Amino acid sequence: MTASRISLGIVAIIALAALFVPPFLPWTHSAIDWDAVRAPLFSTGHLFGTDSVGRDLLARTLVGTRVTLAVALAAALVALVIGTAWGAIAGWIGGRTDEIMMRIVDGLYALPFMFVVILLMVVFGRNIVLVFIGIGAVEWLTMARVVRGQVIALKERPFVTAAEAAGAPANRILTGHILPNVAGVALAYLLLTVPQVVMVESFLSFLGLGVQEPLTSLGILVKEGADDMDIQPHALLIPGGVLVLIIVCLTIAGERLRDRLSQ
Amino acid sequence: MSLYVVEELSARIGDTVIVDTVSFAVEAGQCVALVGASGSGKSQTCLAPFGLSPAVPSGSTQLDGVELVGADAATLRAIRGRDVGFVFQHPLTALTPHLTIGAQLTESWTRSGAPTPSRADMVAALDRVALDAPEDRLDQFPHRLSGGQRQRALIAMAIAHRPKLLIADEPTSALDASLRAEIMALLDELRREHDMALLLVSHDLAAVASHADSVVMLRDGRVEESGPAADILAAPRSDYGRALVAATPKLADSAPALPETGAPLLHAENVSVSFRRPGWRRDRLQAVSGASLALAEGEALALVGGSGSGKSTLARAIARLGPLDTGTVRWRSEPLPERKRMTTHHRRLIQPVFQDPVASLDPQWRVSDIIAEPLKHLRPDLAEWGRAGAVKQLLQEVDLPADFADRFPRELSGGQAQRVAIARALAVEPEMLLLDEATSALDVLVAGRVLDLLEKLQHERDLALLFITHDLAVAKRLCHRIAVMDAGQIIEEGPTEQIITAPAHPITQKLVAAS
Repeated sequence: MTASRISLGIVAIIALAALFVPPFLPWTHSAIDWDAVRAPLFSTGHLFGTDSVGRDLLARTLVGTRVTLAVALAAALVALVIGTAWGAIAGWIGGRTDEIMMRIVDGLYALPFMFVVILLMVVFGRNIVLVFIGIGAVEWLTMARVVRGQVIALKERPFVTAAEAAGAPANRILTGHILPNVAGVALAYLLLTVPQVVMVESFLSFLGLGVQEPLTSLGILVKEGADDMDIQPHALLIPGGVLVLIIVCLTIAGERLRDRLSQ
Repeated sequence: MSLYVVEELSARIGDTVIVDTVSFAVEAGQCVALVGASGSGKSQTCLAPFGLSPAVPSGSTQLDGVELVGADAATLRAIRGRDVGFVFQHPLTALTPHLTIGAQLTESWTRSGAPTPSRADMVAALDRVALDAPEDRLDQFPHRLSGGQRQRALIAMAIAHRPKLLIADEPTSALDASLRAEIMALLDELRREHDMALLLVSHDLAAVASHADSVVMLRDGRVEESGPAADILAAPRSDYGRALVAATPKLADSAPALPETGAPLLHAENVSVSFRRPGWRRDRLQAVSGASLALAEGEALALVGGSGSGKSTLARAIARLGPLDTGTVRWRSEPLPERKRMTTHHRRLIQPVFQDPVASLDPQWRVSDIIAEPLKHLRPDLAEWGRAGAVKQLLQEVDLPADFADRFPRELSGGQAQRVAIARALAVEPEMLLLDEATSALDVLVAGRVLDLLEKLQHERDLALLFITHDLAVAKRLCHRIAVMDAGQIIEEGPTEQIITAPAHPITQKLVAAS
């Protein structure tokens, strides 16, 4: 329990810093300091130094974290809403409907998802909204499977039969008894979806398919840092470290929560 | 000197004392039973000395002169493999699902230091515990065996290395009545034949009565009383012992006066239910085939039978809480609508109470909301405050304090949760209760009190009861008539007294003999 609390605490600190610190910094993420190109760590005015064109790395890391987390959270919420609705309906109705709905999920699973997202980018142009939609549209599949399994298990529980005997209509049983009992597990998988999306977004940005300059994300920073890593390794290590920290912490928290709920 | 001597044994988990200075001895060839309500420390008393539980033992236990308390892990492992055999309550969870019976039998054989057994040895071992088709069983996985067969296989493993002491922790609790008698008889026979000491843990006093030589009664980890089985069970000295003996319904008890029955109420005819088996072969499992039963106002009918005989499926089909293929159900000569068409009026007539009290309450809901749920849907005439008043009154009726209304199910014990479930069922003043094994998941003392409550309600409320049970003694206490089910059909039906004293069908005879 403590491990998951510490993990969530670390993510919260990173998220709060990304949200509220940038306005108080002397440099914005896009401003260029002509006097300090490739400044080293801890130089005056640039705590994390600057990149190859003299932009403040602290500001860029914070803004990049903000973008990455926003994309991840939005995509995870899309996954939560679509996945829970799809899974709950399939599991609750059961029978043929369930089979058709879940075969659709299986079919989508079989698509090479990275290829689909890249295709979307190529066809519709680089757009942050498309990143949300593309990622969310794929990440809900796991959520749908998890929720369906839970609903099927809950449907057989005596308290659901008791609710039927109590005259509760089907929609009330679903919203009053089934979904509240699925919520915990769905939340745990939400926590596990966020780090996955962070990975995907960073990967797309690394390939140059994510957000556009001068806006940045952790993936873009890692790419730029990698280009420059023999000269100033901290430009790779700092955003890379933040990325790893977020993914590891959220994964730990999600897995702990899932294990606790599935006991 | 006795074979197994326990002297002032205590065991604690953390700071909690689970077993408190317990002493007893078991002679070779003798059977000692440890009895008590759940949580009384029975299992821990057996398992802690052998290092099989998280509890830390102190005091002394000697098996054949070897001290177990304080022995190192390697010594204990050697003793467990060589001198002691264990049989546990849940035959499925005690077998490893991915290994064949033969592989598991071989393991328990070789662990004692014996050479790898030949196939003939293993067949003989399974034959010894009267497992049918032992040759085939060796290559089967545990899921292919029924509960009784699994328990036989487990016993074969436990005695494969000829232990001096066999510890059986509730060996029959997960089995139905006729299997219970068979397994107990088998344990008795093996004990006599091999001059093996048997330490039997049970909450079922009736099972203990005929098999044990002496009884050790535990309460909160302490010995409440002990002595020869016949003496203790016939005339317990302590209050706790008397309560425990009195709470165990016995078939020989005289039947209590039951309320008068009235006009015909429910009539189910030719009910058949089948389920689709999972998998690619779309064949169906016939759970109930052409069963009929009738119930009058204020009448209690017991539906008895082994597990898997279709009792629950039939009752659910009748109450419109489960699927039904064919058959009609009439309520006061009006047909009862099918499951999806049940109106508010019809739902009010029959209310269920299920076996597992905790699983039948939504863990996210408060007790007050749980009890008010049927009121909300089936008594729309009641306002919010009317419901609150009704909940208060219902809690009182099932003997629960009023402040329980704010609790969540996890804050209730099994008996309290079952009372809440009964209160919910009574909320809309039904004319009939469907009690699906309503007391079998509860501890003896608690089950006794829930039965008292049901008896009180039966007299006060003029309720018809459909009581599903596998326990004839419980049926006798509450029910006018008994219907016996087997393989989806009702094979015998009649007044309680007649079924118990003069059963006609061989399966009924077996059931009565086992009770």
